Amino acid sequence: MTTVTGTTVRRVTRRPVRIPGNFERYAYLFMRLSGVALLILAVGHMLIQHVLNVTANLTLQFVAQQWQSWGWKAYDMLLLAFALSHGINGLRQILEEYIHNRNVVRAINVFLAIFLVATIAWAGYAIAAFDPAEAIRAAEGFAQ
Amino acid sequence: MSTLLFSLRESVRYRGRSGHWTWLAHRVSGLAILSFLVIHVWDTANAFFYPQIYGWSIALFKHPVFAVGEIGVMAAVLYHAFNGVRITLLDFKPEWWVYQQKSALIVWVIFFIIFIPIGIYMFTGIIEHCRILVDGGSTCWAIPPVGDYLQ
Repeated sequence: MTTVTGTTVRRVTRRPVRIPGNFERYAYLFMRLSGVALLILAVGHMLIQHVLNVTANLTLQFVAQQWQSWGWKAYDMLLLAFALSHGINGLRQILEEYIHNRNVVRAINVFLAIFLVATIAWAGYAIAAFDPAEAIRAAEGFAQ
Repeated sequence: MSTLLFSLRESVRYRGRSGHWTWLAHRVSGLAILSFLVIHVWDTANAFFYPQIYGWSIALFKHPVFAVGEIGVMAAVLYHAFNGVRITLLDFKPEWWVYQQKSALIVWVIFFIIFIPIGIYMFTGIIEHCRILVDGGSTCWAIPPVGDYLQ
């Protein structure tokens, strides 16, 4: 038995409800599941790239060294896909709370969807096609 | 527009105690991470598409203003992650809803315990980087000229 500000809670009433299998339900589940994935991917990325390796020492050579391994490429691609879709969906939910004109909401959603796909495609292609040897040659062209 | 401003003002004025501050911190940290993430992703893609621009931008990101912002992103990611775990657990465990206030406090405590040493470590890194630049006759406030990287 737990006491909360004077009220004694004895048991939780469970009432089964039918949840429609619409977009919002899957968006809700996606936020929880991608959140768990990001707990490893994003927090891990922050600790590895921004604490263990510091930005002050970041060079194109360092990036080339990491992206020699397909393991790192896969990690960064997963992080890209999960983090950006989690973030864009979060922004969509926030905007829909403040903007009540349905046409404006629809236009914003179309824009966000295009932006999400375009960003993941652009950056995902960059990671996949990145050639470490070529990048190191390019880096020799400028002082770092 | 006035309704939007009203909503935003009342989001801050509303006195919902810990639940309100937790909601606000989760929302603001999420937006902060997203705005950083979008810049970070398009910038990092330049490592493949335009290596010269990438070279210049990572030099720019070593500027103290961006370095301090990086500590802010670290704080936002850690808080958002820990509070996200709390939200997910409570969503799947209605029995635990009686611990709303306690769990919100626990999240803040865990966040500060983990963030404070990391934040201090990152900040000393900025000071150290600046000291090396100053010892080398340069200044850590200088913005790298784009021309040095575009050839």
